Amino acid sequence: MTRTQRTSDTIDRHKPDRSRRSFIRKTGAALSAVAASAAAGFSRTSAPSSGGDQLGLLKRRVGNLEDAENVRRLHLAYESSLDRGRYEDVAAMFTEDAEVVFGGSLFSGSEGVRRLYCERFAAGRTGKKIEPAPGFEPGLPELETAVEVAKDRTTASGRFPFSMQVGEPMTGDSSLVAMARLHGEGIVRRWERGSCTLSCVKTDAGWKIRRLEYRTALKADYRPGRVLA
Amino acid sequence: MMNIPMHRFKYTKLSKDQVTRKLAATAAGPKSASQLSGVLAGKSLKIVTDDGPVLHYAFKSANRLTLAEGNASAAEAAYGALELKQMVFFSHMVPGTLKGFNVFVDLKSHLATVFEVWFAGGKDPSGQQLDDREVQRQVWFGYVDVAGKKAPEERHHFTNRLEGTGMYWKQDTGIETIDLYPSIISSNFIEVTRHADDLSYCSPSDYILVNDNLVIYDRTECEFSGIMTLYLLDLFTETQVGMRLGFNEKDELEYYMYRGAGKIVGQLTSLAPFDEHGKTVNLAMGGAPAKAAKAAPAGPPPKGQRTVYRPGRTFKNMTPEEVQRAAEKSTVTFTGDPNAPQQQAGMMGGHLLPFSDLLVGKEFTLRYDNEGPGWEYKVLDIYNLQWRKEGTTAWQKETYRAFEADEKLVFFGHIVTGSNPVSCRRIALDLTNGLTTAILSWMGTEYYGNEVSYRAVFGAAEMEGVNAPRYVRHGFTDELVGRGFTRTYSDQMTSMHLYTTAHSSSWTIYTANQTLGMQWCAPALYVKLRDGVYIFDLVEEACNGAETCIIENEKTKRAIGFGFSGGERGVSFGLIGAIARDLGGYDIKHFLGPKAKGV
Repeated sequence: MTRTQRTSDTIDRHKPDRSRRSFIRKTGAALSAVAASAAAGFSRTSAPSSGGDQLGLLKRRVGNLEDAENVRRLHLAYESSLDRGRYEDVAAMFTEDAEVVFGGSLFSGSEGVRRLYCERFAAGRTGKKIEPAPGFEPGLPELETAVEVAKDRTTASGRFPFSMQVGEPMTGDSSLVAMARLHGEGIVRRWERGSCTLSCVKTDAGWKIRRLEYRTALKADYRPGRVLA
Repeated sequence: MMNIPMHRFKYTKLSKDQVTRKLAATAAGPKSASQLSGVLAGKSLKIVTDDGPVLHYAFKSANRLTLAEGNASAAEAAYGALELKQMVFFSHMVPGTLKGFNVFVDLKSHLATVFEVWFAGGKDPSGQQLDDREVQRQVWFGYVDVAGKKAPEERHHFTNRLEGTGMYWKQDTGIETIDLYPSIISSNFIEVTRHADDLSYCSPSDYILVNDNLVIYDRTECEFSGIMTLYLLDLFTETQVGMRLGFNEKDELEYYMYRGAGKIVGQLTSLAPFDEHGKTVNLAMGGAPAKAAKAAPAGPPPKGQRTVYRPGRTFKNMTPEEVQRAAEKSTVTFTGDPNAPQQQAGMMGGHLLPFSDLLVGKEFTLRYDNEGPGWEYKVLDIYNLQWRKEGTTAWQKETYRAFEADEKLVFFGHIVTGSNPVSCRRIALDLTNGLTTAILSWMGTEYYGNEVSYRAVFGAAEMEGVNAPRYVRHGFTDELVGRGFTRTYSDQMTSMHLYTTAHSSSWTIYTANQTLGMQWCAPALYVKLRDGVYIFDLVEEACNGAETCIIENEKTKRAIGFGFSGGERGVSFGLIGAIARDLGGYDIKHFLGPKAKGV
């Protein structure tokens, strides 16, 4: 079986192609490095039967790389907007029929997604990137980034690690809480780490998130900025 | 002298028309007991501000100027100016409008800071209607444009450099105040001569650094008269030049400039990070945007925006009957289950002491002076006791909690089941000498059904092994006046108690980077139990009506006690435990009290 007969293209910087979808594992390397690695991987596998096939395969692979990079950028934008508290921008990154799983709850459709980000996340300033709590620094292998683009290049999935603040507004009607809220605070914070998985779809407006699920692996009562020396 | 506390005073809701009519008197310019400066007479200034107005001034004389804002035609106004060091401060209103300008010009650096002020501010960014009498302000930073000279890059700027400083001031008008600057966005002030009572108040404030010793400060008495006090202070010479604008409690216009001389009365320790150099005011460190800010579009904040705590607007006034009905539905004592051994102190009780068993098995009678109550107690176990009024036969069982606040000094509290209005007792009982102080509280004041009333009674215990004195008693104290202590109730909540006078205290919230921010004030009482051990009792009057009653032990830096509050959800009697840090204090006691008032 040659690559051209496959039902899908596979690009992996570590392994020869063998799955139905292209798969890029990324541990911080730049796209160029990934591309170079992917090209090298290609050269080591079976040779296409003709120059035209080879060109077509290369085009598909470059397209896949572009799609994977766009999905990664979508996630970067998602993370960045969360970090800056731009929850409206976050909600706009989802399709109208999107679903988000967070904290054991499912938030469906545009309304549900908006409720999650613009109300719940905003109220607790959830999503602000913070470094791992002391003692939890070593990375977990399963927290590596992975992006997979479907053969038809209209859908993709990804897995990304997160390390962020999760907050809940303080309850109660004491004046201390009321005053803290005026500061934009009054939040009980914790740190969470894990991975979020994305299912994305290519639309006329570019890639959008159709489903996002947070899988928390670690959590701790930790706020950054403390002097630990 | 005003003898109604500001938080109880019903300030007239002056209409825009009334304000306009009253402001007509500003056409004559600000009054001043001191001679105003003529340093600007004959000069012209073009003041350019960042993102704000360009002001073209021509000073025709020592009290007349013309102002053209941007390309608008010039208007003539009366003004006043005062000098302090290299600074000239001039103030004027714009005739025919509700606004004015207060301008600080640095003749050395050519930097300028402009306070644009106005009345009838409409709604704030969160949609709250502002009182028309409340002075609004926008601070513009800029410089004096000098032909042929490049615009300076530096600016005066907001600062935290004054955080913690406190000053006593005496104006050339004879008015004396104590202005405490413990926060970066608010301040405490005590009207030494204007008010009959020694009470402190809090107002939103700005702090602007001119240089190491010159600072511009303002406060607006939001929620009260709405009057503004604005001054430049020199920390070297402890002098000030200032301006006061607004309507007092008699609705009279106050618009005057003044000189003042003062004294630094102390300094509270700032706990802000060491890499905060006073060049920024850093609020909302990592917090969620406030509701108002969330709705605000990106870009500079709306003109006049400031962080103002307006508890009077959110406090829901309930009638005594409503409170009692709510209490019948839910009166939560410690846990809601009166016999539950586990406390659930929540946010305010993350640092409780262990419950004390010092009273377990004891029987005693507490008698309070001046025909105060007499109660017999039998303490059943660490959570339950019985009591009865002396001379009666029926015992009433209550759940209680007790702490050993100092060596063999027990502080216990319980609600009085079945009371109407709902009441509670917090009792300090010194097992070494039998002295006791009870803080008796109940729901409702003459103002609000859900505001706690309280009083302290002093007495002695009759109990086995203790020979209590007949004359010696605990008593009210002013030993804590001026002191500031952090209160870390839990890792999520730290505030500061500042004991401003013998009859009031403020509480201030720490921001996420341990800078002091929003604050509020209320009357309070202080009782000395032993050296370094005090009862502090405060009710957040005209705020949310809740009571904090704690014993603070300066030796252990622990505050322990009880909270009592009521509202639509019912009545709650809970626990408070906090770890403290001593922040230092202000030497202000001698400005206060009957002696200082010549009584």
